[in-house]
Amino acid sequence: MLQYVRAVHALSRICGVTAAMMIFASVFIVCQLVFMRYVLNESTVWQTEIVTYLMIGATMLGMPYVQLLRGHINVDLLPLYLKKAPRKVLFAVCVLIQISACAVIAFYSAELFLQAWDGGWRSSSVFGTPLWIPYLAMPLGFGLTVLQYTADLMMLSRVDDPFLPLTHQPLQPTTEGER
Amino acid sequence: MDPLLLSLFVLIATIAVLFSGISVGFGLIIVSTMFILWQDGVFGLAVIPEVIFGKLDSFALLSIPMFILMGAAVASSRAGSDLYELLSRWLTRVPGGLVVSNLGACALFSAMSGSSPATCAAIGKMGIPEMVKRGYPKGVAAGSIAAGGTLGILIPPSVTMIVYGISTETSIGRLFIAGILPGLMLTCLFMAWAIYSTWRQTEGVVVSSIKYTLKERLELMPKIVPFLLIIVFVLWALYGGVATPSEAAAVGALACVVLAIVVYKMWKPTVLWHVFRDCTKESVMIMVIIGASGLFSFMLSSLYITQSLAQWIIDMQLNPWMLMLMINIFLLGAGFFLPPVAVILMAAPILLPIIVEAGFDPYWFAVVLTINMEIGLITPPVGLNLFVINGIAPDIKLQTILWGSLPYVGCMVLAIVLLCLFPGIATWLPTFLMGPAV
Repeated sequence: MLQYVRAVHALSRICGVTAAMMIFASVFIVCQLVFMRYVLNESTVWQTEIVTYLMIGATMLGMPYVQLLRGHINVDLLPLYLKKAPRKVLFAVCVLIQISACAVIAFYSAELFLQAWDGGWRSSSVFGTPLWIPYLAMPLGFGLTVLQYTADLMMLSRVDDPFLPLTHQPLQPTTEGER
Repeated sequence: MDPLLLSLFVLIATIAVLFSGISVGFGLIIVSTMFILWQDGVFGLAVIPEVIFGKLDSFALLSIPMFILMGAAVASSRAGSDLYELLSRWLTRVPGGLVVSNLGACALFSAMSGSSPATCAAIGKMGIPEMVKRGYPKGVAAGSIAAGGTLGILIPPSVTMIVYGISTETSIGRLFIAGILPGLMLTCLFMAWAIYSTWRQTEGVVVSSIKYTLKERLELMPKIVPFLLIIVFVLWALYGGVATPSEAAAVGALACVVLAIVVYKMWKPTVLWHVFRDCTKESVMIMVIIGASGLFSFMLSSLYITQSLAQWIIDMQLNPWMLMLMINIFLLGAGFFLPPVAVILMAAPILLPIIVEAGFDPYWFAVVLTINMEIGLITPPVGLNLFVINGIAPDIKLQTILWGSLPYVGCMVLAIVLLCLFPGIATWLPTFLMGPAV
């Protein structure tokens, strides 16, 4: 179980680094666009579309990482009001609901991706990006978020407050031992 | 079912889901999915990914991660404490100078970082201990920083304004310019209250006896001025219509990162990673809420809720100011619990047609809405800034911070009243610089 949690955390971190790199790349691409358009007075073809898709990719792939950091903002009135045990129950219920929603979207976005792949869909711009590439980010992002949520559920017995990131609290020893 | 009754159900479901502790973004997706399922059955679900993708598929949205990166680079550097030091050296002879310079530093830093909690943390870390040391009451010290931090979402460039611009299809450059004078007015109101409360509580104005030479006053300038020049350049590019917000923000972000590396020697990969991690964390959080709110508005309009609600309010033929009062109370209530971005994304598309129909200016409304959101940042139960201050100054009780901040809520309400009496405070500068709104 612990190995699964570690593997998922590693995956989420890889996603986080990828998302950060996508944002970093967008900065340079837009600066290149500005240089082409305003300094060289040349027309730009691919930049606007690519950075928009990079941003969508960063958002989707960033989701599991932000969940790992507990960065998705929530109204924490009720969790703060509850004592330790009921708070864990509430967390489990919230996570189960979120897993089902993410799974539904992961399923239907995978379908959209397959349609775009089979049909050879392209964006309507001059550049005509194959649409399966940006669409792929959605099943990946929502699917990996489901994995991250299951890992959060597995760690439930070992943390004091599941609504806080793991790095902000001591972990309880596990019965199956650290492997 | 009657759309108005249905809207009541949606409201109850949204409140129940959001208050359970589920994150705002996923909460909106869950509520929307439930009602789409109820309306169209399983076949309706297939449209969800397309709606979310369609909402995020916009070049204008890219300005959000870019401005956040710009702010993250500034916030991770020592620019906050340098700015604080610079202003306190210049304003040392002004009566109550330290609290005034703190508020000034908050206003400037909020322009540089675009974030309220980051402003509180950056200025408060230096400012609060210094003020307490020099004899300012703890409540005044903590309250002024908590309030000063809220300026971050009003003074441009502000991510909150960008989100408003995108969700209502108004000009982001114009929104930024509209925020300048109200931001300055609010800063002055805050300063006036800070001086008055210090004078009242200490029975005499705290005047510093420390003197600084001109050299000491000037030596920090080269570190701070380049950051301010970047902000001025970005605003100039925006209001002059030279570049789109995303283009201006990307150039600004690159310039801020390079400046942070050069001026503050932040070249170590771990330090840079922290900047990018913070930027990614905040951008993803906001973008997920934006995508989710796209789905939420899609659900609302496919159930005819948006249209019916707007028609219903218009049919009531309320006095426009009565309507504005009700909207303000609603926004204030929502702002008590929800982050500004979420309130704007959910409420602005529904409220804007009603506002415009009643004869109000959408840019003026953006300012009023933002000040309402600022109030939510320093009021319980979820006043973010209060908790930031509590984190950086653990020896000041939360209660003291709260009581110190409350009078500033009064200043903000006064600012809203002034804006209602003199709408020109928000609309004059954009009209003067950019011509009348189309």
